[in-house]
Amino acid sequence: MTAAAPARARPVRPARSLFVPLAVVGFMVVSWWSLSSEFGIGFDLGELIENITRGARILYRDNPINPADRGLLNPNWAFLASTVEPMIETFQMAVIAAVVGCGLALPISFVASRVTAPGRATLFGVRGVLSVVRAIPDILYALVFVAAVGIGPLPGILALVLFNIGVVAKLMSETIDGVDPGPIEAAQASGANRTQTVRWSVLPQVLPHYVAYSLYTFELNIRASTVLGIVGAGGIGRILYREYARFNWSNVSVIIVELFVFVFVIEVVSIWLRRRLV
Amino acid sequence: MTAAATPISTSRPARPSRLLRNAAVAAVVVVIAWAVLSIGIPVDELSGLPSGVWGVVQRMFFRPGPDLSYLATSLEFMFQSIQIAWVGTIIGAIFSLPIGFFGAKNVSSGLVSNVIRQVLNGVRAFPELVLAVAIFIPIAGLGPVAGALAIGIHSIGTLGKLTAEVVEGIDPGPLEAARATGARSLQVMRWGVLPQVLPEIVAFWLYRFEINIRAAAVLGVVGAGGIGFLLQNTVQYTRFDKAGMAIIVVVVATIAVDSASGWLRRRIIEGSEKKAVAVEVFEAPEARKGDTSFG
Repeated sequence: MTAAAPARARPVRPARSLFVPLAVVGFMVVSWWSLSSEFGIGFDLGELIENITRGARILYRDNPINPADRGLLNPNWAFLASTVEPMIETFQMAVIAAVVGCGLALPISFVASRVTAPGRATLFGVRGVLSVVRAIPDILYALVFVAAVGIGPLPGILALVLFNIGVVAKLMSETIDGVDPGPIEAAQASGANRTQTVRWSVLPQVLPHYVAYSLYTFELNIRASTVLGIVGAGGIGRILYREYARFNWSNVSVIIVELFVFVFVIEVVSIWLRRRLV
Repeated sequence: MTAAATPISTSRPARPSRLLRNAAVAAVVVVIAWAVLSIGIPVDELSGLPSGVWGVVQRMFFRPGPDLSYLATSLEFMFQSIQIAWVGTIIGAIFSLPIGFFGAKNVSSGLVSNVIRQVLNGVRAFPELVLAVAIFIPIAGLGPVAGALAIGIHSIGTLGKLTAEVVEGIDPGPLEAARATGARSLQVMRWGVLPQVLPEIVAFWLYRFEINIRAAAVLGVVGAGGIGFLLQNTVQYTRFDKAGMAIIVVVVATIAVDSASGWLRRRIIEGSEKKAVAVEVFEAPEARKGDTSFG
């Protein structure tokens, strides 16, 4: 627009902006508010160090509450066998939720993109709903679904499905926003209707991204489904929270090591799959 | 290069092998089928699902609907969640900055950066809730400080990786220039690297803060402070009217923080409106066409 303005030999130095000093003051105020013991969480470094030195003792020496326990640093490997089943359940929940969630997210993302939405009202309506869906954490979904349908893997899967719709629909609608408009024009010029344009011009461009996002969501699910059990939604989180509540740190430590290996393996496999499929 | 040397062939090139790709697709299908068939969700549970969920949603938002007298309590606990997220983000930012520099191959050594990257991968493998339950509540006791520490450690994992990637993507020119004037390695970092990466890294901090708000909203479920405590309690005692109020507060506060932080991020990355116009005068208009960001 303004490109026609005459170019000067040297650009004028921009006026110093108040933005940086204001941002620094804002940062200080919010930090003081958050850290203070009066209004905030009461973050006291001295107290924390004292707590850590006391707390750390409990983790590797005698546990005063549970004498049978040997601490986080002495994992009780005999416990491993009883964690296999909930671990498999966690994996199954992640798989099913990724399939259902990503499947539902694909059509939604076409309605939530500027390029393919049927109208402005639909576009902003769907985007608004999606931002609400994303604003609710997965654990909160799980809490509500456990209250509605009872304890088990089903509420966990439902919670992950909603979480996945939020993530994939956002990523995909942004990808669709950025497609090359050439093929769309070509399809329209040859007389294609809206559905045909989406099918033949947009979908082939975004499908590789969709596969990549779906695998990424699956990885997120593995991590998320490890904690859903804490509120009763099935999987390894249930066992983790039970052992935590019984102060069995040796068993908790087994689960932590297991989770670490599990997440690592899933990531490696997922990266391999992404390379093969995309 | 070699195309000119080979004789012209009239046959079509052989189709590349799709064996591995097909094997990958088959493996995925098998895993999905196995998961669906063996998870063991009874059918009657599925049939009761819509009415069960609708019953709870109705009690939360329609009849009796959100309990307005619970607004003040919900806000108080939501503010604590925001504070937990803020402190956690600060912990993550302070530690991830130097760690990220050591994790970048171009300004650190190969061995050090590899070790740091692996440690960061390990840290990221644990969700905040697991860190809170397994490590920080036992150490720091129940309460918001444990939550802030759990979020802080997880943030070091994610921010450290992002910082290292940003540092690896810098223009090496200013580094060389700083070295040529005799700067020590710390001075090279300060004057050659930091000015190039700081805007992007600060934007990542803000983005992480947005994610941490969501994590901090649920940490209370395990007793690590914030509004998660209210959500857990009200749902457990089937006070869905109160739970509805708390959920509305979580959603509104999360979206509000997202918008504020998103505005700040765009302001940091793109500069002020005035500057953007000034840039346009001196740059080709096409240079700014790729901007497709939306609110």
